[in-house]
Amino acid sequence: MQIKLENIMPNPLRSIQHGKESIWGQTTILEPQTKILLNASSGKGKSTFLSTVFGLRNDYDGSIYYDDKNIKSLSIEEWTNIRQQRISVVFQDLQLFPKLSVKENLLLKNELTNKKSESDLLNELDLMGIKDKWNQSCGTLSMGQQQRVAIIRALSQPFEWIILDEPFSHLDEKNAQICMEMITQEVKKENAGVILTSLNDDFNFNFDVELKL
Amino acid sequence: MLEKLLFKNQNKKQLYIAITGAFLGMTFLLTSIHYLVKINEYGKGNDILGPNTIVVQKRVSNSTSLGLTKTDFTEKEIDKLRKLPFITEVQPVITNSFDVYFQTNDELVPYFSSDIFIQSIHPKFLDVKTENWNWSPEQKTLPIIMPRDFLVMLNTFMSANGIPQVSDDIAKQIKFKITLKRKGKKEAVDAKIIGFTNTVSSILVPESYMEYGNTYFSNGKEQLITQIIISGKENQFGKIEEILKKKGLAAKNDQMIVGRLKSIVSTLFSVVLGISMIAVFLSGLVLIQFLQLLISKNSYEVRTLMRIGYPPKKIIHLFRTYFIKIFGIIALLSAITFFIFKFFIDRIFSSGGLNLSTEISILSIFSLCLAYFLFIIVSQKTAKKEILAEF
Repeated sequence: MQIKLENIMPNPLRSIQHGKESIWGQTTILEPQTKILLNASSGKGKSTFLSTVFGLRNDYDGSIYYDDKNIKSLSIEEWTNIRQQRISVVFQDLQLFPKLSVKENLLLKNELTNKKSESDLLNELDLMGIKDKWNQSCGTLSMGQQQRVAIIRALSQPFEWIILDEPFSHLDEKNAQICMEMITQEVKKENAGVILTSLNDDFNFNFDVELKL
Repeated sequence: MLEKLLFKNQNKKQLYIAITGAFLGMTFLLTSIHYLVKINEYGKGNDILGPNTIVVQKRVSNSTSLGLTKTDFTEKEIDKLRKLPFITEVQPVITNSFDVYFQTNDELVPYFSSDIFIQSIHPKFLDVKTENWNWSPEQKTLPIIMPRDFLVMLNTFMSANGIPQVSDDIAKQIKFKITLKRKGKKEAVDAKIIGFTNTVSSILVPESYMEYGNTYFSNGKEQLITQIIISGKENQFGKIEEILKKKGLAAKNDQMIVGRLKSIVSTLFSVVLGISMIAVFLSGLVLIQFLQLLISKNSYEVRTLMRIGYPPKKIIHLFRTYFIKIFGIIALLSAITFFIFKFFIDRIFSSGGLNLSTEISILSIFSLCLAYFLFIIVSQKTAKKEILAEF
């Protein structure tokens, strides 16, 4: 799925002076299967970019197209299908359910498409070193552990794009690498594109394009 | 898992208060509607005249006995009564101005005979088909409506003669003969009972027969309207009673008692109905408010579910199902409690001599279903609105 950003300018960023390289106010085409690094310092609009492209906010000028279809014209059913099957996201604030256990958080997502088995999910948790947290409620995990659960959850669906908003911000280098390796493998399997936002660190991400904000 | 996420660990105090309110409201709603229907039905079918119908005459006092005041009704007086909002119909009761002789004419019953009075009233007061309530000189049998007291009297007579007593249906099979008399002239016709009444004290005949008698057998005296028949609106008997008192009119006491009783009990149940409708409405509002509160408390969960790919329809369905269950429990508990109430209330009425029909009124069941579906529709619409606002 091609994503086209046409002169996008989110309202909260209108008053900020943007550089010539910035994608804001420009036309940018994100070709399918491209690996994109979105590198920017705080306050430049990384999360705004994610929520705008993912259809969570509409307060912007310009147009965004998924395969030539303006996303403002998408129906609720179409959005549901996109979020289930075509675009997966790791939110910066993770958006896990703190009252539910790790198991419940993962199965809740997985049961929409049944992409993985329970043992697949346990293996992934094992690789990330948090298998023992399976029945623990997410609200009691550390931020780093929660980040890993959110990554596994995002990988538990089919996708053409995966958008990761500072997914390793609470992880040490070793765990970040393990996660990066797992994401890369899944992206390869899905033949998908990646958009990774980061604070001036590429985590050895083998990107094709670097976008600036 | 979704149920656990959305409905567990919620403070349900408000829910329990609303459920209690709705349960009480629905129970009293069912009970009051049921008994309003049953009380309005009471008396129908037993009498060929409607249950809200009475025959009145002017109260006889010493002055009327001395001829100082009149006991007949003028057209003006009848018109005045017709205009009253709680009265649906007023018509004169026509009395015979000729001699009538009544006798049994059946081998199955012992012979008896008597001079009698006959009366006729407008057919609109009668619960009888027009083709059965007609007479022409060519017709061999005259349909008559008997005062119920007559059947009591007949049964007393039968029992004194060692003959089995008769039911309404058997009485309708007995042959009678009515003879019109004038000096040197006699004309007899067979008569058959088609119904009974408690409202009128004399034998009722079709208007055409009365006209025939008054034309060919009249004794020449002026026809005065001394009785009128009045139909009142359902449950407004108190007003009719008041106007009768004010105008110095009298009716048979048992008619007055039934009417008064029906009015009082109906008013009582109308008050209960009003209160229970308010209770159902308010508790419905509280339940809907609880739904809004539940969605609002779960706004993060609802929003996140939709962001990870859950269809809003599925989430709306979850909330709707949750409330269908709640309303279902309320409706079921109300229905069970109503049956228990009904068992005791029917016994109380029965011991007081008011034998109401024990069948469940369809209207009360319909009202329960209506309230249930209204709750479901409103909760569905509320859930849809609130959840889509989070999308």
